[in-house]
Amino acid sequence: MILLQVRNVTKRFGGLTAADDVSFDVSEGTIKALIGPNGAGKTTLFNTLTGFDRPDQGSVLFDGVELVGRRPRDTVRAGVARTFQNTQLFDEMTGGENIMVGRQAHLRRGFSAAMLRLPASLAEDREARQEAGRLLRLIGIEEWVDTPAGDLPAGIRRLVEIARALATGPRLLLLDEPAAGLNATEARELVQTLFRVRDVGITVVIVEHHMGLVMDVSDEIVVLDRGSKIAEGPPRMIQKDPAVVAAYLGGETDDDA
Amino acid sequence: MSGRTLRALAPLVAAVVVAVVPLAVSDRFLLKVFTFAGINALVVIGLALLFGHAGQVSLGHAAFVGIGAYTCAVCTVRLDWPWLLAFAASGALAALGGLVLALPSLRLKGHYLAMATLGFGELMTLAFREAEPITGGVDGFGGIPFPTLGPFEIGGAASLYWLVWATAGLALLAVYNVTSQRPGRAMRALHGSELGAQACGVDIVGVKVRTFVVSALLAGLAGALYASVVGFVSPSVFTLAASITFLAMAVLGGTRSLAGPVAAAVLLTLLQYLDALIPGIPRETAQTIQTYQEDIYGLAIVLVVIFAPGGLASLWRRRTRGGEPS
Repeated sequence: MILLQVRNVTKRFGGLTAADDVSFDVSEGTIKALIGPNGAGKTTLFNTLTGFDRPDQGSVLFDGVELVGRRPRDTVRAGVARTFQNTQLFDEMTGGENIMVGRQAHLRRGFSAAMLRLPASLAEDREARQEAGRLLRLIGIEEWVDTPAGDLPAGIRRLVEIARALATGPRLLLLDEPAAGLNATEARELVQTLFRVRDVGITVVIVEHHMGLVMDVSDEIVVLDRGSKIAEGPPRMIQKDPAVVAAYLGGETDDDA
Repeated sequence: MSGRTLRALAPLVAAVVVAVVPLAVSDRFLLKVFTFAGINALVVIGLALLFGHAGQVSLGHAAFVGIGAYTCAVCTVRLDWPWLLAFAASGALAALGGLVLALPSLRLKGHYLAMATLGFGELMTLAFREAEPITGGVDGFGGIPFPTLGPFEIGGAASLYWLVWATAGLALLAVYNVTSQRPGRAMRALHGSELGAQACGVDIVGVKVRTFVVSALLAGLAGALYASVVGFVSPSVFTLAASITFLAMAVLGGTRSLAGPVAAAVLLTLLQYLDALIPGIPRETAQTIQTYQEDIYGLAIVLVVIFAPGGLASLWRRRTRGGEPS
């Protein structure tokens, strides 16, 4: 089943076309990678999928529902979660609290219920805490539950952000360069984490420069170059695609990816 | 005693200490000073939520105190309302003012709220002075009766003290409940990273507006208490200097904390009445301190920002454990 349909998405910033008529599908339960040289439009595409940017043209259908024009919190509610290239953790809060914030969209009790310590509000909080604990264990970072996020090592920060995104209860998880700044061991652990996430039924789209990791985890790859899609297919096909090889070897000098 | 037991007992001990002050202090003026400390604490509890948790700066909270004070004055004197109703109306009107101010300015990014509150504060000072038929203008508004709860008038220095601190205590409890549950996490989250908070589904404008409204409401209630305790309000009280004093208390008290800001509110209030507190202090010393009061606050803020960015609360937290709000 097709979970996400990206259709003819175009996004311009002044004279620059960051995404140019990009279309692709993501099947439910798979891991799809978006790759391409720096400035290829990968993050822009993520932003248009999650309500942080509105495309100039095109449509994004998530399980048949249009995501274009929705605010970030509404895409979260619809079941699309994301992480950021520069991790956006809440540094003053602990790892556990960070993940609890991921439950926000599902908690309904507000200020007055909290003020009065209504049982419903307390119950929601307990539920959020349990869910955070469950996700910490799923991702394998439970020993960091009480550490302020600002004190966490880079690799753990990436994982906490993934756990936080999972806390929103997504069907689709968008990861923006999750392996950036990770050492080889941490990258291997990340691969295991991604498989675990996929195995609990969550579809994953990943933007990544780490080619080894991309080839290991993805079922399919979309290659972008200067805003346009230049190739799409399973890893083995992409590795041999002449347009992809040209884009990487010809266009890019500062990033060996 | 372990740190945890100490931590659990601390609020109880603090409450008892605050409650027995009138039994230990016989000096009526001194008791009034402690009562003012409670009124300031009530304002600062709201600011601690706004600044310390949600990271929003208000340079106009004295205006909300003023709205509450004048509302209470008009409702009790002119409209002859029961005190409790006037008290509620004071909070409600200040909250409404907060909503009207926050809705447009919080939709914008950056420091527009700080600017808007600064302008709002100045405007309200002007309004208190110029709207003579309602506020009494520069001459002020006098003859405000003591608070009454049903048939009981609360007029003694000790009962006023208890009324003020009971209100502050209830506000502290309510605000603590907010900070320790979902809304508090949302506030600290958007303070940490607005992008991250949005990605978690936090309604950042909604949370900021609600936080601002709650803090304006508490300031309004503090204003009503001030009017009833003093019996007289004048525009010279609700100025930018007062707003900055409140903010200084919140900054000095520390972020992600309520106990810290309350302690700072008490300390900085007592500083203004040093001569009453320490009988032996030379008159000139006390006067010098009062003359340079604003400079002392400014210096305190600078020192806090440089040496203890987390304020008083962080000094306490350093001894126990980091992370959770205190």
